[in-house]
Amino acid sequence: MANETDFEIADRISRRRARMLPVLGVYFLAGQAVFFRHVGEPERIASFKISAWLVWAVVLLLALAFAGGQFRGAKIRALVEDEVSRANRARGYAAGFWGGCIAAIALYVLTMFEPVGGREAIHIILTATVASALIRFGMLERRALRDG
Amino acid sequence: MAERLYNRLLAIRTERGLTQAGLAELVGVSRKTINTVENGIFIPSTLLALKLSRALGRPVEEIFSLEPDE
Repeated sequence: MANETDFEIADRISRRRARMLPVLGVYFLAGQAVFFRHVGEPERIASFKISAWLVWAVVLLLALAFAGGQFRGAKIRALVEDEVSRANRARGYAAGFWGGCIAAIALYVLTMFEPVGGREAIHIILTATVASALIRFGMLERRALRDG
Repeated sequence: MAERLYNRLLAIRTERGLTQAGLAELVGVSRKTINTVENGIFIPSTLLALKLSRALGRPVEEIFSLEPDE
């Protein structure tokens, strides 16, 4: 690794990012089952879970927007954030938009049968938005890195 | 009508004895970019197409075309 060129370092960072993002997206989505299992829980535990989810969501949003050779200098960052990655990220954002819209529509329908609190609604919509954007971006990056 | 851009990047690159990584270094982009353009997954910008053309010493129309090769 000591004699790696900038191109090799960028390739390694891109691969790592492509592996991590979809896993994080799925994990984030799956982790929400725990959040909604808080009936009868003490207030401070519920508050802790909400704070943890919010921090996690913000970290993932930052990862989606900026992850990729941030501390490696301009050249490596430019290689990681090449025009393919920028296009993939844009498609990821579009997937996030649709994920959020679908979640909002589903919630709207749900409120016809069951009351849903504002906080829960925001939680579900933001989770769907972040997770679908992360998963889509990561999958596109994986496809771009696949040989052949 | 579905638009598609065909390219002869793989053929020209191998003809020049270059690997994807080698061409990427010549152009100043990542290997991923060369890979996606070669496989038709990504349509490059005009800037990248011109850089590829310069690096390979071939006119852009020889590398990219609107019709598949005969």
